[in-house]
Amino acid sequence: MDMDMNQYMAMFLEEAREHLQTLNSSLLDLENDPANLSVLDEIFRSAHTIKGMSATMGFTVMAELTHEMENVLDLLRKGVFPADHAILDVLFRCVDTLEQLVEHVSSGNAEAGDISELVKRLKAIAAGEKAPVASAAADEPPAAADAFVSGMALNDTDRAVVQAAQEQGMKGYDIRISLREGCVLKSARVYMIMTVLDDLGEVLKSVPPTEELEQEKFDLSFELLLVSDREQDEIRKRLADISEVEKVEISPCRVEEGEKPQPVFTEAAAPVQAVGSRVLAEKKPDQPAAAAAAEKKLRGGQSVRVDIEKLDALLNLVGELVINKTRLEQIGLTHRLTDLVETIEQMDRVTTDLQSVVMKVRMVPVGQVFNRFPRMVRDLARELNKEINLVIEGEETELDRTVIDEIGDPLVHLLRNSIDHGIESTEVRKARGKNPIGEVRLTAAHEGNNVVIEVTDDGKGIDPDVIRRKAVEKGLITAQEAEKMDANEAVRLVFLPGFSTAEVLTDISGRGVGMDVVKTKIESLGGMVDVETKLGFGSKFKIRLPLTLAIIQALLVKVMGETYAIPLGSIDSTISLQAGDIKTVQNKEVILLRGQIIPIVRLARELNVPQTTKEQPEELFVVIVHVGDQKAGVIVDTLIGQQEIVIKSLGKLLAGNKSIAGATILGNGQVALILDVGSLM
Amino acid sequence: MAEMVFGEQEQQFVVFKLASEEYAVSILQVQEIKRMTDITRVPHTPDYLQGVMNLRGSVLPVIDLKKRLNLPENDYTDDTRIVIVKTDETAVGLIVDAVSEVTSVRKDQVELPQAVGTGGADYISGVGKLDGRLLILLNLEAIIGLQSEG
Repeated sequence: MDMDMNQYMAMFLEEAREHLQTLNSSLLDLENDPANLSVLDEIFRSAHTIKGMSATMGFTVMAELTHEMENVLDLLRKGVFPADHAILDVLFRCVDTLEQLVEHVSSGNAEAGDISELVKRLKAIAAGEKAPVASAAADEPPAAADAFVSGMALNDTDRAVVQAAQEQGMKGYDIRISLREGCVLKSARVYMIMTVLDDLGEVLKSVPPTEELEQEKFDLSFELLLVSDREQDEIRKRLADISEVEKVEISPCRVEEGEKPQPVFTEAAAPVQAVGSRVLAEKKPDQPAAAAAAEKKLRGGQSVRVDIEKLDALLNLVGELVINKTRLEQIGLTHRLTDLVETIEQMDRVTTDLQSVVMKVRMVPVGQVFNRFPRMVRDLARELNKEINLVIEGEETELDRTVIDEIGDPLVHLLRNSIDHGIESTEVRKARGKNPIGEVRLTAAHEGNNVVIEVTDDGKGIDPDVIRRKAVEKGLITAQEAEKMDANEAVRLVFLPGFSTAEVLTDISGRGVGMDVVKTKIESLGGMVDVETKLGFGSKFKIRLPLTLAIIQALLVKVMGETYAIPLGSIDSTISLQAGDIKTVQNKEVILLRGQIIPIVRLARELNVPQTTKEQPEELFVVIVHVGDQKAGVIVDTLIGQQEIVIKSLGKLLAGNKSIAGATILGNGQVALILDVGSLM
Repeated sequence: MAEMVFGEQEQQFVVFKLASEEYAVSILQVQEIKRMTDITRVPHTPDYLQGVMNLRGSVLPVIDLKKRLNLPENDYTDDTRIVIVKTDETAVGLIVDAVSEVTSVRKDQVELPQAVGTGGADYISGVGKLDGRLLILLNLEAIIGLQSEG
């Protein structure tokens, strides 16, 4: 790609992702309300924009796919046929494929991907054919497979060969073979299938072509035209016996009809059109409201994209401004310049505002992450054959950009877990007298200086006894330990590394990477995760996160001449003691606080602070800190006060420094170090 | 290192003083030169690592170059400067006694460290000889040494 294009690449990627997100959510809306014209318009617009952008960038594959999507969408818009499940499934798959293509080019690769299958289906739909969708087949009775219509286009030669074969008493068959999802050696399976077919008859044609099949350039299914003297059922059986073949669809090839889709179209089109227009007529009154909503949405989304690094730079500059302002203040005071001091007071207000605005700019609504979940939940629910209603609340809750970027994966894991293990199958739910549609709630809300995100399901809950048994079986705890635990403690065992409760390993979760990964991730973000459950009624996973990773509340303390910051989140209390209150137990200094023995850490000694005074003060200030259930008393010389600090990294050279978690810049321009409380324990 | 610096026939160097000797680093590696400022000590680090400083809102480590090279120490003066250098995207401050000039050194004026035969030659990428002056050209990567042995 030349330089000019590189320049636009980032913009293309961002916009493409945004439009794909719109496509996903609008398609979901459309699925719930198939006749909503304004949603269809939005889908059409997004697809059209992607088409235009990718064509400009020279991504012909994306442009072609979106072009075909547009054709189908246009017909939907005109009400030629309604947006049924089969069509939506194909459209969803198109969006998935587009996402893959976008991600592929974003990692610097040339555009690559096979869309022939999808394009063919889109064309078939546009031609009025009912979409033959592999994933929908699970719902269909097996007999329906006979009704499968191949989308393969036959040329005159193919037709002549099939006809010649038929004259010799052989038959032509259209066959579609779908491999199991996750099949690794697709080319090997293709080879085995071809060997079997050669034995049965002659393969005249395949889509995609044989070479591409051998190079695994296909999704999961491919189509063949076979001439054979065997019966349909025998062929089906022989093919189905090959391992990892998910489904074999077979139907006699009808060459006499020429272009096959035509007759289907003429028969089906008229009634469908009638249905379409009736639905449209019914929907008419709602339209102005919907249009107004769409317009509002467009106007509400006015924004400018800014690179996060630029914001960091801006924040640094503001910090610098504040520091210089402090210096000016000092000059004003030393030289008794009243005018200057007054002006600086005003400047002070402006800079404070500026600082808080810059911090706010870094905040993004958590909806940015939540957005992608409805689609994921829909797919999962279909895959697992469960009915699930995902309720999202508090999307507008804001979190720091850095947290937002990290929170997605843990949430995906929790949601998958709830859907896969939490929510029961529809039959079980009915049998238990529950609403057959399971509910999964994803909520976000502010709570003081934290944001709390909860994933709640009304499924079967977690059985503490099962967890105890599993944990003992896996050797994570001993039987005695298990007995001593109460129900809550037992349920929390799911967060232990190596714990996975799924009785049967499914594709969705339970791959051995479990809740421990979620816990580690959340804790690395300075947050906490907890679980509440009620057997038979559901579970609630609660994540508590700091509003931002960049700014924390801290207590500034002085040790000799040095200033340190202790994160407020890990401080229990501060107390003052007489030197005599410190006792020794086994040569370790401890204090007794409300009946609890707390070890003492002398910060000056711990951090090798150079002694500036010899005298030992009678009154000692002790900061009681905690990590988990562990506590320690940290002796400092002076408590300066509580302050919001901006966390700065110490850089590569000092990374991994024991006892120091980071640094911050104080109002006077000096650097103060932030204590890593965990290292003092 | 020396090859890299002398990709062209002539290179510009920032010359500074440490005790009675003259040292130099390639101007391409120097980001800026600052007056002495407040430096915050960082516990559990080698003693040549003087601490961290605030450079327009970012926190950078500062190395006392004389301690690093085991040269006799003296107090900081008005001439003391912090030379901010950058290697591999890592910016570091180096405390030096004084910054004297920027000068050009030709490739043929430089002897490689093996020929000079000094101890601790890892830190030196060569010695420049200009009109009877000796400029010790520093190998910053080794001096900053992400794998500190102190």
